[in-house]
Amino acid sequence: MPVRATVEALLRERKLDRTLTSAIPERLGEDAVSPLDVEALDRGLAGGLPRGQVSEVVGPASSGRTGLVWAALAAATRRGETVALIDTFDRFDPPTAAACGIVLPRLLWVRGQAVSKTAVAIDPAWLPGVRAVHGPGTFVERVIDRAIKSLNLVVQSGVCTLVAIDLIDVPAQALRRLPAATWFRIERAIEGSDTAVVILAAQSVARSSGGRSIQMGVGRQESGVGDPGITWKGDHDRSRRLGGVRTTTAIGGARWSGTQQVAVHTRFVHAG
Amino acid sequence: MFAALVAPSIPAAAIIDVARAFTPRFEQVGPLVLLDAGGLSRLFGSPQELGTHLSEALAKHGTGGTAPRVAIAATQTAAALLALGRPGLTVIAPGQEAKALVPLSISVLDRYEKLKKLRAGDNRHLEILTKWGIRTLGAFAAVAGPEVFERLGDHGLQWQALARGVDARPLVPWVDEVPFEAALELEWPIEGLEPLSFLLARLFEPLSERLEQADRGATVIHTSLRLTTKRVHARTLPLPSPMRDPKTLRTLVLLDLETHPPDAPIDTVRVFIEPTPGRVTQWTLLERAQPAPEQVSTLIARLGALMGDKHVGSPRLQDTWKPGAFAMDEFRVVSEEFRVKDGALAPEVLTVHSGLATVNSALRRFRFPIPTRVQVQEGRPIRVATDRHGCSSGAIVQSAGPWRTSGEWWQEGRAWDRDEWDVAMADGTIYRLVVERGVGQWFLEGVVD
Repeated sequence: MPVRATVEALLRERKLDRTLTSAIPERLGEDAVSPLDVEALDRGLAGGLPRGQVSEVVGPASSGRTGLVWAALAAATRRGETVALIDTFDRFDPPTAAACGIVLPRLLWVRGQAVSKTAVAIDPAWLPGVRAVHGPGTFVERVIDRAIKSLNLVVQSGVCTLVAIDLIDVPAQALRRLPAATWFRIERAIEGSDTAVVILAAQSVARSSGGRSIQMGVGRQESGVGDPGITWKGDHDRSRRLGGVRTTTAIGGARWSGTQQVAVHTRFVHAG
Repeated sequence: MFAALVAPSIPAAAIIDVARAFTPRFEQVGPLVLLDAGGLSRLFGSPQELGTHLSEALAKHGTGGTAPRVAIAATQTAAALLALGRPGLTVIAPGQEAKALVPLSISVLDRYEKLKKLRAGDNRHLEILTKWGIRTLGAFAAVAGPEVFERLGDHGLQWQALARGVDARPLVPWVDEVPFEAALELEWPIEGLEPLSFLLARLFEPLSERLEQADRGATVIHTSLRLTTKRVHARTLPLPSPMRDPKTLRTLVLLDLETHPPDAPIDTVRVFIEPTPGRVTQWTLLERAQPAPEQVSTLIARLGALMGDKHVGSPRLQDTWKPGAFAMDEFRVVSEEFRVKDGALAPEVLTVHSGLATVNSALRRFRFPIPTRVQVQEGRPIRVATDRHGCSSGAIVQSAGPWRTSGEWWQEGRAWDRDEWDVAMADGTIYRLVVERGVGQWFLEGVVD
């Protein structure tokens, strides 16, 4: 096909041929993915989160999005891998994470700064020069900027095989202000490496061409429309306990036709 | 030709000084000092004359007591055994070592082996040979090699070789411990860390070369910067594992100084390295290769400079019931010992159902709990109101609780006493709601996700 050949030649000339599958051979075998050790999800993901790619896990609050990323971190640490969590607003809870099976000594936890209206509660190193809490060039933007820089440092070091960045509480406007090159740089840094990057967010942020998009809580939106699927145990008010959340997850990828739906039960875990 | 010196009444440092006065090639083996006497005849004459010079030099340091012993022979083993076994000066002509060793007691061999620490564990050879009626080195040397091997194994053969005056290894010359230190005095003071980077590179490159030659790695780096204010800005940087790559060392020091910068221009830069034996790494094909400590250290230092030291590390659980309690440890690449065996967590953590994927819920903890207004009916929260952006307000659809915990009431300022509730809002968000019982204030503590 002369047209196709011409296009490919032009792309190669401009060094854009990595968009073609011929540039880097498709990784094969069990090392090509980072499995979650959850049978139905791994089947839906064609093995797990692909290494050398940026994937994303998105969904509304309490849809099990964080639990799914923790499951991936737990599975990797159980295999003896070193993992990292870039925790933009310092939301990680180590006791619950340990109860979920994350081997904590194998986790590199990069803690961002939790936002507080009480300035004295914030690490002074994060404050100089900041006048307002929200908006461009403000404290929140500084926190996001440092989280992205940390992600860059971690992926470039090649120390961790699974790197998750938590952007759930980042305002949508702030995410939109991030330059598109941010994610392209991350993608290039891990291309062909053993590292899988997963972005955890409320809404879709970015994904590389070979990465997966995992949409949790399909059919339920932030507006509250749809059945939240929360299950409880116990018949009486006094004996009632939270059981978990049943949701539907849609898994997609650029090289896939359509999406796959997987039913997920997020089981409630109490660290105590 | 080798000379051996033994002088129990003279301090070891004095014997080493005597040895150094004769040759730079000498080795200390406990109280025994072995000299490479090859090529000394031009300076000190025949072996006999050399021996006399050595005896006289030792006698000058003597304080009475046992007279120094000096032995000169063609092998270091023979010289050492003769010095241990015969008083005064002994000089043996080349080729006569075995003959000279014949009358020496077998216990000399035992003493020599203990000094050289040739073999770990209890030495029962002396006891066995004594039981056999072998009292001298000559008698032991005369036993056929295969017979010795059959009864005493490899070690027996090594012993017999020593009894014949054969060297097991070459002399390992003494190396003076020169401190791993370098300094640069500047003609013009420098400001900022960028020019300092070039200076540190100049200091670390020769130091790293010396570390490599000595098979040592840096374990602690002391950096002291004399400032124009006459103050000294000193930093101590402990490293997680021995390393000697000059670029890594420079980067780590620079990142440390970036976090703790000097407050005035720099006049003098001084670097001192505490060395430790080099790292030996044995990789395996059966386990995943772990990242190099140099990579990890550099990453942690860079992250620490960006986020702050307290914001980077590995969490560690604490032995307390206090909700959310943890401590931060320095992040290190852990060995395979931490690997969780398959099935160890299977019943609780790893649940597999065909068709339905089960994962465990996470708790997204608000590190600063969000104060909130809660409407209570019949002891249960029914409505939440908060003005925090991104948090739901409104009626509570369902709730579970209260889960009451308290503790550390015996420590002022650390006590807690509270009720926890898990509440579901109309939009499907599940919050962990907490009321501090002492003050009655409600907080949103986290989101179950």
